[in-house]
Amino acid sequence: MVRFKNRYVLAEVVSEDPRCRQCIEDRTLGLAVRDAIARVHGDYGLACCSISFTVKYLNAYTGTVLLRCRKDSYRLLCSALPFVRYLESRGQRYPCFLNTLHVGGTIRTCQKFLIQYNRTQLLRLLQNCTTEEERQCIQKSLLSCSLTEEQSQSGDEEEDDGTE
Amino acid sequence: QNILTVCFSVGYSAVALNHVIDFKEKKQEIIKPVSPSELFPSLPIVQGTSKRIKVLTRLTLVVCDPSHCNLLRSTSANIRLYDIIAVFPKTEKLFHIACTTLDVDLVCINVTEKLPFYFRRPPVNMAIDRGIYFELLYTPAIKDSTMRRYTISNAISLMQICKGKNIVISSAAERPLELRGPYDVANLGLLFGLSENEAKAAVSTNCRATMLHGETRKSACGVVYTVKKPRKVEEEETAVPACKKAKTQA
Repeated sequence: MVRFKNRYVLAEVVSEDPRCRQCIEDRTLGLAVRDAIARVHGDYGLACCSISFTVKYLNAYTGTVLLRCRKDSYRLLCSALPFVRYLESRGQRYPCFLNTLHVGGTIRTCQKFLIQYNRTQLLRLLQNCTTEEERQCIQKSLLSCSLTEEQSQSGDEEEDDGTE
Repeated sequence: QNILTVCFSVGYSAVALNHVIDFKEKKQEIIKPVSPSELFPSLPIVQGTSKRIKVLTRLTLVVCDPSHCNLLRSTSANIRLYDIIAVFPKTEKLFHIACTTLDVDLVCINVTEKLPFYFRRPPVNMAIDRGIYFELLYTPAIKDSTMRRYTISNAISLMQICKGKNIVISSAAERPLELRGPYDVANLGLLFGLSENEAKAAVSTNCRATMLHGETRKSACGVVYTVKKPRKVEEEETAVPACKKAKTQA
């Protein structure tokens, strides 16, 4: 059966600067990743990886990013991700790094992993919570996590509204 | 302290804080290591499991001269307070001595400049038998392009001799943004010429084996000085097989 097989890489943008989260866009991130691949693997690597390279999903509140690339070149992409040092947008450089969470063959598997991961993150935040309101907010969003798209996204947003 | 918080949030379960001793200055005293309880009132819990995170202390000796190695045999009590001891040899002779006779857990491989000596098989094989691990740093590779070339060339030449066994990849991060997650570091291992299995082991099982090696070294050292007590002699007999068991346990 002829079908193009892709790999979806789930990563999280970790940064110290809170303004960095606001400027995460798919174009800036795509440029930063391509730049890192070019620096590490050169022209050949960049050409191989950019056959089917896109940023599929982006969540600016939690800094979650889903990248797609071909199955043949996902190793080149994964090995170049640690070399992303900053995101550049509108003339401003924000130092950050990408933390790879999961590599999957379909978007659905990555989504399942992301829901579990967010659940553990919410549990961790629950431990560090200070006010009672935040606790209730987080507990509510924990209970409402499920596989449908809108609910999982609202689970993410509620977590950040509660703690930031 | 910031670095440690980022470490824990990214998913590491044990961290070693490094203290480097350089012998170029004349008088060097080994200071007591910073106790981890001073940094954190209560250690946070590892993501995903319910165990607390371990913070270990580590000493690196930069040796340019065989006389510097005497420090390891000295009776200074402070050295034994460190959990892991690493040595950074600068010449081929010192590399040979470190692999064969010195009582250390890690041998650091220079990544910031071209190695002045080539690796040879006999000392490397002896180090593997003794349970000593070779350490590569990855933070210079992230910072600078020339460092990256040296890192990769030194790492690949090491791989060709040791076939990817006994490698530990660690970061010499001075800022929290120079740190990378464990999955990313294992992917970096692929760049260094390791296979996927070996790269994941370099981050997980080999590090654990180093910690165990450090512990057995600590307990065995204690035995040499208290021969008269029969209890300690028993400890010696269990410590020696434990050091061989360290590799199979990890």
